[in-house]
Amino acid sequence: MSILANALMALRGINSNKLRSLLTMLGVLIGVAAVIVLLAVGTGSSQAVANSINRLGTNTLTVFSGGGFGGGTSQAGTQTRNAVLTQTDVTLISDPNSAPDVQSVSPVVTTSETATHQGASATTSVIGSTPSYLPASNYTVQSGRSISSADVKAHALVVDLGSSTASSLFATGSNPLGKQVQLGSSEFTVIGLLASKGSSGLSNGDAVAIAPYTAVQDQLTGESQSFSQLLVQGKSSATLSLAQSEVESILAAQNDTTVTNLPFSVLNQASLLSTATSSSKTFTALLGWVAAVSLLVGAIGVMNIMLVTVTERTREIGIRKAIGAPKSVVLGQFLIEAVVISLLGGVLGVLAGLFVVRFRIDGVQPVLATYSIPLAFGVALLVGVFAGLYPAFRAASLRPIDALRHE
Amino acid sequence: MGPDRSPNRWPVIALSNIVKRYVMGGNDVYATRGVSLSVSSGEFVAIMGASGSGKSTLMNIIGCLDVPTSGHYRLDGVNIRDLDDRELSRIRNRKIGFVFQGFNLLPTMSAIANVELPMAYAGVPSKERRHRAEGALESVGLADRMGHFPNEMSGGQQQRVAVARAIVTDPSLILADEPTGNLDSKSSVDVMSAFASLHAQGRTVVMITHEEDIAAYATRVVRLRDGIITQDHHQTPSHPHESHLAHARQAEGSSALAGRP
Repeated sequence: MSILANALMALRGINSNKLRSLLTMLGVLIGVAAVIVLLAVGTGSSQAVANSINRLGTNTLTVFSGGGFGGGTSQAGTQTRNAVLTQTDVTLISDPNSAPDVQSVSPVVTTSETATHQGASATTSVIGSTPSYLPASNYTVQSGRSISSADVKAHALVVDLGSSTASSLFATGSNPLGKQVQLGSSEFTVIGLLASKGSSGLSNGDAVAIAPYTAVQDQLTGESQSFSQLLVQGKSSATLSLAQSEVESILAAQNDTTVTNLPFSVLNQASLLSTATSSSKTFTALLGWVAAVSLLVGAIGVMNIMLVTVTERTREIGIRKAIGAPKSVVLGQFLIEAVVISLLGGVLGVLAGLFVVRFRIDGVQPVLATYSIPLAFGVALLVGVFAGLYPAFRAASLRPIDALRHE
Repeated sequence: MGPDRSPNRWPVIALSNIVKRYVMGGNDVYATRGVSLSVSSGEFVAIMGASGSGKSTLMNIIGCLDVPTSGHYRLDGVNIRDLDDRELSRIRNRKIGFVFQGFNLLPTMSAIANVELPMAYAGVPSKERRHRAEGALESVGLADRMGHFPNEMSGGQQQRVAVARAIVTDPSLILADEPTGNLDSKSSVDVMSAFASLHAQGRTVVMITHEEDIAAYATRVVRLRDGIITQDHHQTPSHPHESHLAHARQAEGSSALAGRP
């Protein structure tokens, strides 16, 4: 008897108990869909993390005053509190003789303020810096102009607004350029609008207002001697770690300490990215295992239902064997039945997975991992074979005389 | 008709000293205690006996559904003891046509699909399968019921579908186990007429029954008691309930199957 005829017979078996076959399929469907969706969520969230790290800038090092980020650097207690990032540090790091691999260095002071304009308000992070900050952190000016060195020198009350801050404060269609925005107690003039960097769930890079650091120190932080961060841009990604050691040596010399006892933390974007990538890989793998468990449950469902089917159809098996069905045909019939149920479940599961992946899940936009489709499909097929094998073997080994007696 | 002893007959069934022993609760129970029986081609044999006489065990052994504990069985010249599982299913498929008391049709298949099934296992191409199944159903008077499902047919019609399924592979032996056990007397006549017509065409039929008037259709009656043959005699078949209708059907069936052995 041909495989095709046997497959038709199996399809007839599935068709004769539609509801049960459908429910069994549902188990595989959910398992396969879970594999695809969870792997997509994992991939999506690791891309989101990578994006938000890239948003820090291109080939950048961030020096935080006070240390503590990630606990990577150790420092002596009293030194930590006294150590600050100063204008001298900025001058030294920007000197190509002492730090040849540094492209630019931007001092940063930050504060969070409520920005208001004619009754509209938005919470925004105010970043006081120099013009080099914008290209280093991948901000581009969409209209108007960037803050300039002259603005910094003049302590000018001017500001570049991030796209979401601008849209919260100004009605669509109106031109914010030249308008006054109140930050804290001071009025700043909008001189430029920044293109959207997109947000990734970790932070919104568009809810910002970038002003000269001199103005922010004067008006908002009230501090004029120190910076909260230095944003250092390296010349290339290959020399970023060289740039990091140059910066660390300069800062160590300035604070009369060694590089290992540096009272600042230096965040290397490249190493952060690789750490984040490896941790999100672990996360994705974990999600994959969770999905695999649900697929396993689906497999047990298929096996269970095939065992019930074999018991229920014992008499049918007896009739078939009495009229000459060889063992292999009975084995094939039930095996094909299990495989067809699993494969149909697999196909529907892939479709369901592809559908669900189009929606945001818990703030994460899933990104379909292409390998997950053949993976889930292949596993569904294996599930069918393995879950079907034992029940089919039981059916094939029934003695026709016992099977015929079965009521 | 009548007891047939013409010289061009060959033994279809040759049982010699068949013993079947079961172990039940530690005790040996003998279902048959040495049965020897030879059935020639063209015979219509009724095996009779009360329940517990061993007739069902004998039927299972003759049908290659069970193997004897000791003794030899040759079916159409083939020694059944030497066969493995696969070869046994081939034998059941090619050489034996079963008719069961409970019809044993597959409920999810139409009449014609049920009749085609043994040919599907034999690897007959689908066109030929359909053609032969149609012929077999016509010969049992069910030309107008081919697409019906078992639950849409009366018991007599279902059993005639089973008869069609049994003869469609052109087997050496038709083996019937209480074929009228679940039928009313009218349907019994229909089914027995089908058997009588098969016999008239020269087919070998072995039938298990406990009803005397059903056994009356046979040319030879073998009686079993306590696992041994107590009586074996040839007789002239009589058709006690036969009606005009059944006669008509028999004639129709004979013409449809003409040209077959």
